[in-house]
Parts: sequence; structure tokens; C-alpha cells
Amino acid sequence: MDLKVDSLKCTGCRICEFACNYHHDDSISPIGASLMFYQEEKKNYYGMMVKREKSLYLGRPEGEQVLLPGEQIEGASASAKPILLRIACDHCEEEENGPVCIQVCPYGVLSMEGE
Amino acid sequence: METMNNYNGVILIVDLEAQECTTEDLDEELIEKALGGAAINMALYEQYRDRDPLILGTGFFTATFMPAGCAGVMTAKSPVTGSIGHVPFGWQTGVEFKLTGFDFVVILGKAQNPVRLWLHDGLSDIDDSEDIWGQDVWQSTDKIRETYGDDMIQILLIGKAGENKVSLAQVSENYWGSKDKFGFGAVFGEKNLKAVAMRGLGALEVAEGFFQKCIELQNEIKGGAIAGKAGLKDIAADLGIDAAVIEKIQGLTHRNDAGYNCAYPYYTYLKYRESPDTMAMDGNAEPGCLVSDLSGFAGLQAAGLDPAEAMEQCCRLGLEPAGAGRQLKAQGSSDIAGLDQLATSGSCEGLATWPLENSNEAAIAGITKAFSTAVPPKAPFAQDSGADGWVQRQALAYTLGIDPVIMLMATEITEEKLVELIQLSAEWDEFSADDLKRITSELVQRSA
Repeated sequence: MDLKVDSLKCTGCRICEFACNYHHDDSISPIGASLMFYQEEKKNYYGMMVKREKSLYLGRPEGEQVLLPGEQIEGASASAKPILLRIACDHCEEEENGPVCIQVCPYGVLSMEGE
Repeated sequence: METMNNYNGVILIVDLEAQECTTEDLDEELIEKALGGAAINMALYEQYRDRDPLILGTGFFTATFMPAGCAGVMTAKSPVTGSIGHVPFGWQTGVEFKLTGFDFVVILGKAQNPVRLWLHDGLSDIDDSEDIWGQDVWQSTDKIRETYGDDMIQILLIGKAGENKVSLAQVSENYWGSKDKFGFGAVFGEKNLKAVAMRGLGALEVAEGFFQKCIELQNEIKGGAIAGKAGLKDIAADLGIDAAVIEKIQGLTHRNDAGYNCAYPYYTYLKYRESPDTMAMDGNAEPGCLVSDLSGFAGLQAAGLDPAEAMEQCCRLGLEPAGAGRQLKAQGSSDIAGLDQLATSGSCEGLATWPLENSNEAAIAGITKAFSTAVPPKAPFAQDSGADGWVQRQALAYTLGIDPVIMLMATEITEEKLVELIQLSAEWDEFSADDLKRITSELVQRSA
């Protein structure tokens, strides 16, 4: 199972990042999250990245993309780089109500897919 | 000092004249007395009244899991009203502010030369700003982000109108204007303060159980009257704004964006230099403008300007759009170049008003002029609670750090639930609805 992003439903409210960080270390901050909002603000272009165990998943407005180690993130700005240092998404396996990012998202952007 | 949940526990004092920054502890006693946001801003304003203070504050719930807990508040004497004004700043700016490690910032006096305040990771720098003085808001935002090397930096800043200290000047949130209807752009300009740049990689503690209670409240909100609605156009339709304004917004809408943890996205990005349907990252570098000020947009349309492009020009100049539209209409001018003239020498004749019949505006002004008129004067999608109800909801929003537009429309955020969440956060079992009412009433009275 992996986290999936329907980027066109996203409004950039970013609560998913903060909830993910809270899951990992019980504090409010965006810096320890396994998923990350990135943007080109003047163009209103934005999407979400998810650090997976062995890849990086990009939920972009144009569609999804999965990058394997060594592949470049095309077009992502400086704000997107720190995702590579983050802890991978653990699917919130020990959370009673499932992934916290899915629980908090007001817009139904996130879901789990696959086996 | 043991830090309370929801806060960093730090007040920053910035002396622009002496070019010095110092910090003080944010005492729990002050939080007990005023909770946060505009109410603590008022206490700090009164403490430093003799030094022309500009206070930036965060609310009790800013940057927590509280639904719509995205707002910070600026407090100063308004050049427009001559009395105290409180300007909420939101989207991502309020959250970023609290995560810098400062809960409140008191900015005193005037710098000799143009400066900007750079708040990051518990540090504060007063940096020279000659490099961007004279540049517009968009250029300055780009330059600040480039200089500090991070495009997620959130910025409160001024453009030409603020530098020229005209009372129509508006403090901008990044590129996009703000809810500043009080001429705080001129307050920044008077202080030679070009910008407050913020990047927060700090962390806040919240009470155990708070997260789950906030999810429950957010679920109630999104399943309530706002369900199925989005963007400025649905607010405009509900309020009864002119159909031509709604048609214009609808025709140019690219996406609707939300402030931090807001279940209603009322920031609408309008694209007019490429198709609104374009989602790709390539293409025009500046294809449109993010609009949240409905009264400003309608005011520019009423003046006969193309409202989308005129909004962009107001954003670039740091000019309050509703007042600017009103002035141009009075002059019989529909020339966009008139905005540049207003940013040079225009003045604001009273608070901007909404193009609505039967609104509460006059009655609200009879109670207080301290809260931003960028917020609709009646609640979208909810039963109108009259002027007293509007003022109370705004006082709550400004104190607790909740987006003031969402606070109006999301009646699921009841005072009972707020009291419960305050009790849980602060571990104050005795805190009551009467305490909350006392704090908001005092805020209104002291802001007069």
C-alpha cells in the first residue's frame, strides 16, 4: 500500500504535512514530515511529494510521477530538496484510524492504493 | 521558564532606532488575562504606547491543529481611522510567524535607513533594505527569497504606496495583498520598514487529545453549510454581489486555494495571461493573480477597470484596492495608470465599504472600527447574527488566531467548543465562557 495524491483536489492548506510531523514526533512543525508541499507561488503551481521507502512520489497537477534513487526532480525549486533527507512514509500503521494525513485533509486529496 | 502548549513563550522587542533586538518571556499570567492575538497585542501596545509601536502577534491557536488556525494579527494606530486597528494576516504567513520561534513582535521607533526584519529559527536580524527600496511588492518578494535562499519564506511587505506613506497603502502578504484596510502600509513606510520576512522551522507542543478533537471539529465544519462550495464566486453569490463580478471571477478561475488548515478555500487564483485551465509548470511566469479581497475586486470593477489586472497592479504597488477603486470612480477615471498616481499621492477617505444592500456595515462601525473591513459584513452560508454577532466572532478570531472569514461562515466553531479546547490546551479547568466573553469585550473596548 502506498499514499497517493490527487493533486487537483489540493488547495495547499498544508495540514497534512503538520499532521505527519505530529505522527512522527508529537510536535507541530513541517520539517519532520514524510510528505511535503512545494510550489511556484506566482504561477499558483503546487503539488505534494511523498518520501517512500525506496522512491520519491510526486503528486503534480499534471499527473503523478515516481522517481527512483539517482533520478532528478525536474522543475522542483529549492524548497523541494529537503524531502530527500526525510523519514519515509510508514503508512501510520500503528494509528488506530489510519494515516493521519488522510484523516486531517479537508479536501479528500490523499488516499492509500495498491496491495 | 516552562513553555505552555501552543506557544513558544517568547516576545521579541525590535528597536529600529537603536537597531537592537531583545527578547522577553511571554508570561502565562498575560496569556491567562488576554489569551493571545489582538488581545495581547493591545496589552503590548499600551505598554509601549509612547514609542509608536507596531505589534505583530499570534493567536492562542495559531499554527496548531485548530481548524482555520492560520491567523496572526498586526496592531497599530491606523492612519485611516486615527484609532487602533487590528489587521489579520493569514494564508501561510501567520503559521510561519509562530514557527520562527516568536509569539509576539513589538516594533518600536523608526529606522534611519530602509530595513527589513528577518525572523528565522529563533533568531532576529535587522537587515539593510536599500536593495529593494523602490522595488514593487512582486520584485521585492522575489529578491528577499533569493537573498535568503528559500522560496517558502513568508513575507509581510510594502510597495511604492507604503514607501510614499500614503494612507491607501496596504501591507502585503507575499505577492497578494492582504486584509489591511487601515493603511498599515504607511505605518511600515513611516518606520522605514520594507518587510518582515519569516521562515520557521521550529516546533510547538500541543495537549494530548487536542489533535483528535480538532479533527472532529473540522469534520463537522466541512460537512456543514460550506459543503460543496468553494472560492470567492460562491461567497459573492451568497452575499448578493453584482452578477458581473461573479461572472468575471468564474471565467478566470484557475484554482481555489486555502489558508493553513482551512476547510473553505477562498483565495481564488485568476489566470488571464494564459488559459485558466493550464496546469503545467511551464508557460507564462506571471500568468495571473491570487485574489481574496472580494470588496476590492468589486470596487475596481465598479470603477470600470479590468478588475483582475487592476488587482495585480494594486498588489504590485501595495495599494488597498477597494479604496483605490472608490477614488478612481469618484474621479471618473478607468485608466489603470491612475493606480500608480494613487500610490504616489493618493489618500484614503475613510474605511472602504462593500457593494451590498442591507449589510451590517453601519451598525458594525457604530460598535467598533478596529477589525478589518476586508471580511464580509455578514456571514456567508450562515444565518446573519447581526452587528453584535459579527463583532463577537471577529474578536474571537483575532484573539485565538482563527481565520476571520472562516470564523464567520463556520458556525460549528461554537464558544462552547472553544472553551473546551482552551481548557484542554492550557490545562485551565476553571476557564469558562464568561472568561472568554470578558477577554473579547475588553478587546473591543480597549481598541476604541
